[in-house]
Amino acid sequence: MLWIIFASLALLAAICLLLPLRSLRSDISGRTEGSVSILSDQLQEVRADAERGLITKEEARAALIEIKRRILSLERKSQHAEPARSARSSGIVVWATALMVPLAAGALYMQLGSPDLPSLAFAEREAERNQQVEITGLTERLLARLQSDPGGGPTEGWMLLGQTYMRMGRYRDAVSAMENVTERPDATSAILSQYAEAMIAVDDGIVTPAARKAIAAARDMDPSNPAATYYEAIALNQAGDSEAAHDLLTGRLGTATGPAPWMEAFIAQANRIGETLGRDLVSLATFAPTVNRDTPGPTAADLAASADMSEQDRSAFVRSMVTRLAERLQDEPNDLDGWMRLGNAYRVLGEMEKARAAYAAAERLTESLPSGDPRVQRIRQALTELRS
Amino acid sequence: MIPEIGQFALALALAIALVQSVLPILGASRGDLVWMRSARASALAQLVFIGIAFAALMRSFTVSDFTVRNVVENSHSLKPMLFKIAGTWGSHEGSLLLWVLILAAFGAGVALLGTNIPDALKARTLSVQAWISTGFLSFLLLTSNPFERVFPPPPDGNDLNPLLQDVGLAMHPPLLYFGYVGFSIVFSFAVAALIEGRVDAAWARWVRPWTLAAWMSLTAGIALGSWWAYYELGWGGWWFWDPVENVSFMPWLLGTALLHSAIVTEKRDAFKSWTILLAILTFSLSLLGTFIVRSGLLTSVHAFAVDPERGLYILGLLGLSIGGSLTLYAWRAPSMEGGGLFAPISREGGLLINNLLLVVATGTVLVGTLYPLFTEALADQKISVGPPFFNASFIPIMLPLLMIMAVGPFLSWKRADLKGVFQRLRFVALLSGLAALAVWYLTEGGPALAYLSIAIATWLLLATLREWATRIRLFDVPFAQAFRRARNLPRAAHGMTLAHAGLAVAVFGFVGSSAWKSEEIVFVQPGAEIAIAGFDVRFDGVEQLQGPNYTADRGTLVVMRDGAFITILYPERRSYPVAQSTTTESAIRSTLAGDLYASLAEPAAEGAAQSGAWTLRILYEPLVNFIWIGSALLVLGGGLSLSDRRLRVGAPRRSATLKPQATPAE
Repeated sequence: MLWIIFASLALLAAICLLLPLRSLRSDISGRTEGSVSILSDQLQEVRADAERGLITKEEARAALIEIKRRILSLERKSQHAEPARSARSSGIVVWATALMVPLAAGALYMQLGSPDLPSLAFAEREAERNQQVEITGLTERLLARLQSDPGGGPTEGWMLLGQTYMRMGRYRDAVSAMENVTERPDATSAILSQYAEAMIAVDDGIVTPAARKAIAAARDMDPSNPAATYYEAIALNQAGDSEAAHDLLTGRLGTATGPAPWMEAFIAQANRIGETLGRDLVSLATFAPTVNRDTPGPTAADLAASADMSEQDRSAFVRSMVTRLAERLQDEPNDLDGWMRLGNAYRVLGEMEKARAAYAAAERLTESLPSGDPRVQRIRQALTELRS
Repeated sequence: MIPEIGQFALALALAIALVQSVLPILGASRGDLVWMRSARASALAQLVFIGIAFAALMRSFTVSDFTVRNVVENSHSLKPMLFKIAGTWGSHEGSLLLWVLILAAFGAGVALLGTNIPDALKARTLSVQAWISTGFLSFLLLTSNPFERVFPPPPDGNDLNPLLQDVGLAMHPPLLYFGYVGFSIVFSFAVAALIEGRVDAAWARWVRPWTLAAWMSLTAGIALGSWWAYYELGWGGWWFWDPVENVSFMPWLLGTALLHSAIVTEKRDAFKSWTILLAILTFSLSLLGTFIVRSGLLTSVHAFAVDPERGLYILGLLGLSIGGSLTLYAWRAPSMEGGGLFAPISREGGLLINNLLLVVATGTVLVGTLYPLFTEALADQKISVGPPFFNASFIPIMLPLLMIMAVGPFLSWKRADLKGVFQRLRFVALLSGLAALAVWYLTEGGPALAYLSIAIATWLLLATLREWATRIRLFDVPFAQAFRRARNLPRAAHGMTLAHAGLAVAVFGFVGSSAWKSEEIVFVQPGAEIAIAGFDVRFDGVEQLQGPNYTADRGTLVVMRDGAFITILYPERRSYPVAQSTTTESAIRSTLAGDLYASLAEPAAEGAAQSGAWTLRILYEPLVNFIWIGSALLVLGGGLSLSDRRLRVGAPRRSATLKPQATPAE
């Protein structure tokens, strides 16, 4: 439908551009004739004014002479004027523009437009609003329950409420929900950085001193917390220390092992700041080249290689891989994917105690992940299975 | 889907504008009629496609389609329908779309109605118009796309600035833009004339209706804007010499000069290059205004767009069009033939002084407007040039102008008899002096300048009426005959009388409301009485009200005079929760003699609202309504002049039938 309308508009434009071809054989309206007809009209006016006594006879006579003189001089000049002509080639140019205009407009539209997006009038969004009302109702019930809880409500409950408010764009409410738990002993680094994020959202992206305090607390607990690191960099940049902000971002990216969802935002921000400093652009490939290239661990290829070995050899091979991974993870405890692989490897080898420890280490790292990350689910599931 | 149609239509309009920029003007220089005539079709097509885009945006606003970013940022589902519609041009992007729409409307107007304009001139004019169009359409699409989408859409919009939720303001930008942008076509005519190398009486007459139309809209726009400031802002003034007001006032001053200088070009074939220069400068000031307002250089109520990238783009456009046209002028204008000669004392002489004074006045306003910007940019010093500067510099230029304005219409072309004119105006001069004396007797003091101004305004009003009476020989001949003469008078003559009288009426308003204004700012408890300008105002407390998208505190003021009940005033303070802001709704008792104006300021102190104590501001502004009446007369006069038969004459096809009559017999 949209494309049919576009085609009709383009056709209309083309037709408009072709219309002048009708005048191929008509006469041009000359400048001189136009001027003469206006001067003639002025002559009549002067006569009429004189008759009505609006101007005196002498004034009229002087004006008439002057106007007539102008008419005469115009007609003298006009004898040199060339008549207009329209060559056949001019028609070709007109046809060409009629073709080019829709094409050019189409090309421009492809740059700017979003043809796949529908229009959505407010009135058509009843269902969405009902859902919204439902969510609002649920959050209200959750809030009431948390408030009536004599123990002050569980920390996860308040954080869930805060996160829901954040998604609804009710930043101020999110801050007041999270405020209830940030002072608790079980407030993790992730909780504090989410709290800081909410405060920053309230102030339209400005990192206020209060938010900065929460960031500092979050970084004290876990210096690698990506969200806290990110907002610390934003704060530094807003305070005018762009150099430090850039270094902080790229520094944290440098310690990353393998691609992670937070890296995109880091890279975009680092480049924004880097541009003002005249630094080179960084890209995801710089920091997370390809998964596992220099992170040793039992990869699919390794396992395929082991398939050809004898039972004993295979077991020894896998063990050596696992030991190497475990050693590396002692040095780089923040590699979530590494811990998960290690946990899985121990499970395969039947060492349930070690597997549980590896998954537990992985779970600690998930606190800084968005709740929608599938890995969180996988780790929880593995831990449940291992405990049973 | 609808926003995408708007987007595509806008892209088509830009492509067509590009063709129109090149083809007709090339056709005019090659003498190719088909290419010249292509201007007509493309000018109309541009209007159609920009119109489609505008309608698409408006539809997105009326149905609150929050997939369009512009709608999200400038509307809200709960807003009254009128303001949803006005939201279309309430934002930066929307107002620029309106800008190009009006630009295209003037282009299409010339294409459609200018049947009497020769092909070559029309083709060149429309090409120049398309240059401006290309500049602004590309600006719109590349830096301020009104059809940018958001998906998924947010639940609701962020509201329009509630201060801008007012009927006066809803209509103010369209009218102001009509005037502002209307001068674009006059500019295009001027540049086309420079390229063609020919300016004469006929050119002046072809341009005149467009100048008049633009001037009328600008007058109406400025008057409405000032009316809005008076009623909505709650400051009790109608003109603040705010930069945003100034940038619309400068094109008006120069446009007025242009309107008058073009008369000399039309009637006497003189002032040619001056008229061209004025046409270029008038539109340049309009562009400057657009730049100042749209670049966010200023921070005032109007300047809601703050974005340096956009500012630089407009600055580029500004430099290109002003620099380019002035270079062209410097190159071509000297080759223009001089026109008719005239003595210093003549109609031409009078109009020359009028022009000089108007240009000096414009310069004064320009300096006062730009000086703070320069000091801020160069010396990093924020200063503000306020009413004292303008009152001290602008008014002394205007008073002589008003005096000469009264005399000008009495002067004949070429050389005039000033002594005779003054003899006819003796009685008028006497009455003006008496009027000033009478005002002095009636008022309790006031600045000497105010009495002088009253005398001059009376002089202008009476002399203008006297001139009209002379023309129809009122009182010299029987009334029926005078009436017949009035009917025979060209409409332009009536138009001039109305406009000049309108200005005199407005001057009464300016002077009355500034020199004899009374103001009381008081801290009141319910039951308190305030005496102002002969009225006794009793404060009966404040109550809370619930509006459609706001809550209001409404005060009740009982107005009495000499113990007799006059009226009750209800000033309000509204707060809009979604937009988190408050507005003042003043209550006004409006009469011809003056306005009693009350507004409610914040509760006097923290906790004072509980005890019912508020700060009230009460003003009495004598004659203030004369300003709007005078402005209406100005617009009406322009309209009457625009309807003059002569502006439709000059079709070359008719010249064949006219010529035999016109051929001199002597």
